[in-house]
Amino acid sequence: MNASKTIEKTLVASPERKLEADADLAIVRQVQAGDVAAFDRLIVKYRERVLGIIYNMTSNREDASDLTQDAFIKAFQSIHRFQGQASFFTWLYRIAVNSTLSHLRRNRLRSFFSLETIREEDPVSREVIDALTDKTGAGRDAFVRELQEKLNDAMQKLSINHRTVVTLFEIDGLSHQEIADIMECSVGTVRSRLHYAKQLLQAELQPYLLK
Amino acid sequence: MKRDTDRKISVEDLLRLKRAERPPAEFWATFESEIRSKQLSAIVNRRPWWDGISRVVWAIYRHPVPVGAAAALALAYMGVRYSGGTTGAVAAARASAAKPVAVAAPAARAVARPAAHPEATGFSAREAAPEHAHVVAATESHITRAPVAVAAEPSPRSPFADGIVITFSDVRELAPDYPQRAVFGSDREFEPASTPARAPKSDPLAGLDPAAERRARLLAPALPAYASGTARAVAGDWMKTRASSNERMYESMDQGSSDRMLVGFRF
Repeated sequence: MNASKTIEKTLVASPERKLEADADLAIVRQVQAGDVAAFDRLIVKYRERVLGIIYNMTSNREDASDLTQDAFIKAFQSIHRFQGQASFFTWLYRIAVNSTLSHLRRNRLRSFFSLETIREEDPVSREVIDALTDKTGAGRDAFVRELQEKLNDAMQKLSINHRTVVTLFEIDGLSHQEIADIMECSVGTVRSRLHYAKQLLQAELQPYLLK
Repeated sequence: MKRDTDRKISVEDLLRLKRAERPPAEFWATFESEIRSKQLSAIVNRRPWWDGISRVVWAIYRHPVPVGAAAALALAYMGVRYSGGTTGAVAAARASAAKPVAVAAPAARAVARPAAHPEATGFSAREAAPEHAHVVAATESHITRAPVAVAAEPSPRSPFADGIVITFSDVRELAPDYPQRAVFGSDREFEPASTPARAPKSDPLAGLDPAAERRARLLAPALPAYASGTARAVAGDWMKTRASSNERMYESMDQGSSDRMLVGFRF
């Protein structure tokens, strides 16, 4: 029963997402009707999530900022082509992911990483850090910094497609079906990539794993 | 590093740390100002010309069946129109080519007849067929005599058609009963009225007596009568015949190239 619920959760978009999609569609219709200012609401609503995806794919704050802005501008310019067959959120994610993939393929050899600050207000994050270190103050910050770098290194060792799947599933919490829609591949491919990526990450982050 | 045995840390837990990575608040102020300026420039600036191409390519990619059907219809329409134009042009050309021939026939007759009997008709070919006067002067045939006068203005009709018509009229003049006789105007067009007489087939060896000839050839040197003129003549004839046949054979062998020999048989 629990397993089936998990599968359903990973395959089917939640009802909240559907309500969200309907609200987005209403805003999109306003923009298509000529209300340009309505697009700002969509920017404010999705900018953090889009930035988070792109940042976790590029591991660079400046690139993530530029690519996020470009994704919103592309969506704004192409808003008249949005038919509402998929949700705006999926459509925007697809634009952002495709732009990021193109950017990463163009700049395959260039890698300048920059780290964001981990907000320890998140209880899960704090719990994980507490489990990994008993240091406080500067020592704790140094440990968190080191852990972030290791995580970034491990993510960058993945291929672009594997990194994207891990980012969308583990970090942004999208379902397999939503990832398949965004990446325009099958659900099986998403699962396969996710499984392979986790195996690689497990091997890379072995010193930080507690069993 | 602290190792808390009560808490299991998995890859998913480590990845949740990345979820907690957030930019500072001032970042969003900069972000907002930048995106607003980009949005305004996107509204004001016109899209580049290649953006239209990308839209067309995208439309083809998204809707291949309707676009393909429209392209097939357009091609079919263009093909029909093109072939129709060609057919019309050909028909017009045929009509224009056929008209002068139809007109030229009496005119050419008028050209040829005065030439053959100028005193009987009493009018010149130029008067009868002024449109043909520049091609052929009033002569017996355009084949036997070259054209005399060539006008500066080219004729719209084919000179070959004119030539055929004139030749035809010449033939009619020279042999008026020919059409009734064999080819023209016959009820049985494809069956000749009279079959040409052929010589009956004859066997070239029928007149020869090989046994007698052989006997004479073999006995001629042995017999005392060889000295006689008859036997010597028989043997000499045979030798000549054989020599001539050999010559014919060697003549018919044509050395075409250095490495192969062509053999032609004459019957």
